Amino acid sequence: MRLSSVVDDAAEVRRASSLIELGARLQVLESETRLSRERLLKLYKEIQGKSPPKGMLPFSTDWFVTWMPNIHASLFMAIYNTMIKSSALDDIEAIVKSYRLYLEQCKANDLGIELSITRAWRLVRFIDTGMLKMTACTKCSGRFIVRDHDLTRHYVCGLCHMPSRAGHTKDPATRLAH
Amino acid sequence: MKSEQLLDEIRDANLSYLILAQHLIRQDKAEALYRLGISEEVADVLEGLSTGQILKIAAGNMLMCRFRFDDATVWNLLRNHTRERGVAGAHAAILMAQALPEAA
Repeated sequence: MRLSSVVDDAAEVRRASSLIELGARLQVLESETRLSRERLLKLYKEIQGKSPPKGMLPFSTDWFVTWMPNIHASLFMAIYNTMIKSSALDDIEAIVKSYRLYLEQCKANDLGIELSITRAWRLVRFIDTGMLKMTACTKCSGRFIVRDHDLTRHYVCGLCHMPSRAGHTKDPATRLAH
Repeated sequence: MKSEQLLDEIRDANLSYLILAQHLIRQDKAEALYRLGISEEVADVLEGLSTGQILKIAAGNMLMCRFRFDDATVWNLLRNHTRERGVAGAHAAILMAQALPEAA
C-alpha cells in the first residue's frame, strides 16, 4: 500500500524497526504496519542481517498455560495491562514498550527469556478474542493466564502451588521457543 | 545538630528522586508511569517543574517518595532466599506490576 505522507511512512518504518529489533516474525510486521511485504523483507534483512524465518506462527493456547511460560506470559500481561490503563497508547506501541520492560524484569531476576515478542503479540490477540483470560489467584491475588474454559473458582497459581518438578528442566537458553 | 543532618539527607533524597522522575517522564512518559507508579496527572505536573521549583519542593521536611507496596506478600517474595530466587522475583514482579494506580 502506498502511503501518502512521508511523516506517516517514517513512523511506520520506525514501528517496524523496533519490532524487528525485538525479534518479531514477519507475520507480526505485516499485520501491525502498513508497509509492503517487500519493504518489510528489506528492512528485516538490513536490521537482522538475515532473512526472516519462514513457516507458521505458533498458534496454540496450550503453551501459555504450562508452568514456566505461564509465569512469563502473566508477567508480560501484568505490565501490558498497566501500560494500557495508565496511558493512551495504541496496541502495538503498548506491546513493544511492555515487552522491553518484561525483558528488563527477566534480566533483573536472572531468568531466561521465555516469551518471544511474537508470542507476546499472539497472547494479546488470544486475550482479546477470549481464548485466554486472566484470573486472580485465591492465595496471592496475582492475576494469571488461564484458558477460557478452565475452572477458576478456587484457582491457585503455579507460583503459590509449585508443581514438584517445576523449574527442573533443561537450561533456559535451550528452551527458548519462538 | 542531628536533625539538621537528617533534613539534609531528606533534601538530597528528594532532589535525586525528583530529578530522576522528571528525567524518566521526559524520556518516555508511558514507561515512566510504570516505573514510578504515579498517575498521568502527577506525571504532567512533575514534567513541568522548573529547577527552582524542584529545589524548593525538595527542601521540605517530608520525603517526596514513599514505599509503593503495602502488601506484605510482595516484600516476603522480594526478600525470599529459600525458593528459587528468580522465580520468586518474577512472582513479586507480577504482583507489583498489578499494584500500579489506574488512570482516573
